Amino acid sequence: MSAQDPQPKKHTLEQAAASDEKIQQVHAILLREKPEPAEGYSPMPLFVLGFIAAVIFVVSVYFVHNRGGLGPNFSFREAALVYDERYDPATAPGAGAAKELTPEQIIAAGKKLYATCSTCHQANGAGLPGTYPPLANSEWVNGSDERLIRILLNGLSGEVTVAGNKYNGLMPAFGKVPGGGYNWTDERIAQVLTYIRQEWGNAADPITTARVTEIREQAGASRATPWTEAELLALP
Amino acid sequence: MASAPSLAASISPSTPPNTVARAELSEIDASTKVPAIFFLGSSLLWLLAGTLFALISSFKLHNPAFLGDAEWLTFGRVRTAHLNAVVYGWSVNASFAVALWLMARLARSIVRHSNMLMLAGVLWNVGVTIGITGILAGDSTSIEWLEMPTYATPILFVAYALVGGWAVITFRFGRSQHIYVSQWYIFAALFWFPWLYSIAQIMIIFAPARGTVQALVNWWFAHNVLGLWFTPIGLAAVYYFLPKVLGKPIHSYYLSVLGFWSLAIFYNWAGVHHLVGGPVPAWVITAGIAASFMMVIPVVVTAINHHLTLVGSFSALKYSPTLRFIVFGAVNYTLASLLGSLMADRNISEVVHFTHAIVGHSHHGLYAFFTMVMFGSIYYIMPRILHREWPSATLISVHFWTTAVGAVIMVVVLSVVGTKQGLAMNNAAIPFLSMEESDVVRATLDGLRVRSYSGILITIGHLAFAINFVWMLLRPRADHNTAPTLFRNPEPDLEVSSR
Repeated sequence: MSAQDPQPKKHTLEQAAASDEKIQQVHAILLREKPEPAEGYSPMPLFVLGFIAAVIFVVSVYFVHNRGGLGPNFSFREAALVYDERYDPATAPGAGAAKELTPEQIIAAGKKLYATCSTCHQANGAGLPGTYPPLANSEWVNGSDERLIRILLNGLSGEVTVAGNKYNGLMPAFGKVPGGGYNWTDERIAQVLTYIRQEWGNAADPITTARVTEIREQAGASRATPWTEAELLALP
Repeated sequence: MASAPSLAASISPSTPPNTVARAELSEIDASTKVPAIFFLGSSLLWLLAGTLFALISSFKLHNPAFLGDAEWLTFGRVRTAHLNAVVYGWSVNASFAVALWLMARLARSIVRHSNMLMLAGVLWNVGVTIGITGILAGDSTSIEWLEMPTYATPILFVAYALVGGWAVITFRFGRSQHIYVSQWYIFAALFWFPWLYSIAQIMIIFAPARGTVQALVNWWFAHNVLGLWFTPIGLAAVYYFLPKVLGKPIHSYYLSVLGFWSLAIFYNWAGVHHLVGGPVPAWVITAGIAASFMMVIPVVVTAINHHLTLVGSFSALKYSPTLRFIVFGAVNYTLASLLGSLMADRNISEVVHFTHAIVGHSHHGLYAFFTMVMFGSIYYIMPRILHREWPSATLISVHFWTTAVGAVIMVVVLSVVGTKQGLAMNNAAIPFLSMEESDVVRATLDGLRVRSYSGILITIGHLAFAINFVWMLLRPRADHNTAPTLFRNPEPDLEVSSR
């Protein structure tokens, strides 16, 4: 079947049909039919390509302008809560101010983060005698902020003396450092450290995000292994 | 088909070489006869039932007292019964018949064990009957497009699986080397529909998802039933009958490919634009709107392909009923889709959504495009499977003009009334309903009356079609050579041998 088939002439077909049993089945309705449809292969008009390109361009611009915050710095999870298509996390009202948390909010955020630490150091900060050192009334927690920040950024291994008792274990690295598993932001580290320095009767100064960033850039970022007690005691 | 010419030549020197192919088509048509007539007959009954439900609900909109004390015919039930009767009763039954007939013909494959199809057909219609009775009895699930109660839907799914499976088998054992564009659309639609229907049933009714996800799934389904089931079947019919009746090839294979794949990629996303302003993440709605805009590509490409096929043969529209219905449908596919892309835009959606304009748009797509294409297809298929001519050209003419004019009036009136209604609803100064001053509801009444009149016009057309259909079934088969039932006799030099 193709478009090249000659058009049937009705009277000759009816004669032919009478001569063959199989073709007798063929009814006039079928014989007058045009051939089964076929496709031509005319090339696509050029303006169609231009038209498609224009549509894709316009739609892309529309999507970018109305994407409701979705983008490289804004996850699907965050964008799922945005109902205003013009919302932009960078220029949204209060976007800068919201980052400045009150001391109470910092403590609250640190308490949330401490859920991870409490697996070993316990919710009351007392640790487990002989296995995990305490945080409450610990000279490491209440003392030099630089030592404490370094421990959390890169971890601590080997023997360590806390409140008169010896411990020998491994504290994992929480900072954004080589070999670190948790990759917590400097802000989170500052929050959780501020929390443990002011909880369970501890009363040391809060730790700022800027201080964590400073120490990470100076020391933490170039180190892939945990600190030892000797190294830390050499610091001020 | 390589052997056809030599075989034919051996029978008679005067036999044209395509005669054997015609004999083969005759056999294929005969194999689809019983199921096709069953599906078309059922679809006709559902069309009449759906039209009746439509008239009742349309009159209730401007005359609430009409049948106001009949519990089974309250607006909420009868309007829902209308939607389900025309979608699952008329449109799906007609789709089954047309898709099977096209698939068998294009694949050069005889439909074997067609009694299995009859079983599926009976099952489907039993399911639809139970579902619509359930809706009228007050058992609706009240989820748009999925109102049928849970005791009806599994029957529908099993019946669909049998029909879809049979069509796929017909395709699998076909002997055609080339897969024509109509087959792409039908084959894809056969897989898209069970996907849509099962996911929607499970995520909304049988194991409901939480919160707004249900609304997302609901509109994904409701929009895609049109776009990924009725549209492909309708386009498959246009792609078949347009070149078939005109006797010339479809303009460009490349445009067909582009049209098919762009529809397949973009349509699935578009349904979410119904939730503009809803509690759904903004980026999801933006993606839906973007996809609705992208639908301009398949629509324009398909329209160009059809137009360039038809160009130069417009005079055939004067004679061929099939062509006239099909071209009317194809033009309205383009218009309805372009308007649909426009209505997806946030600013326009804020006005037209929740108004009569959306109802008008649904009728534009499902009636002025899909239903008209199905009418055209039925006018071509029935003489081939019955070996009888349509008894009355006048009735076909009445059918065409009443439905075409009725559909245009309905779509225009509802769009205008709906837009005015939407603008008024967004204006806080205009009350929704008030006894003293002009209000939103009262302003729509004149338009709704005109819509009812257009519905009466369409009903007359459906009755003309039904009379012609039954008359054709009952009429004896002619022994002698017969002539096609055309609107008028073509001029001698014009070749219009089919309709």
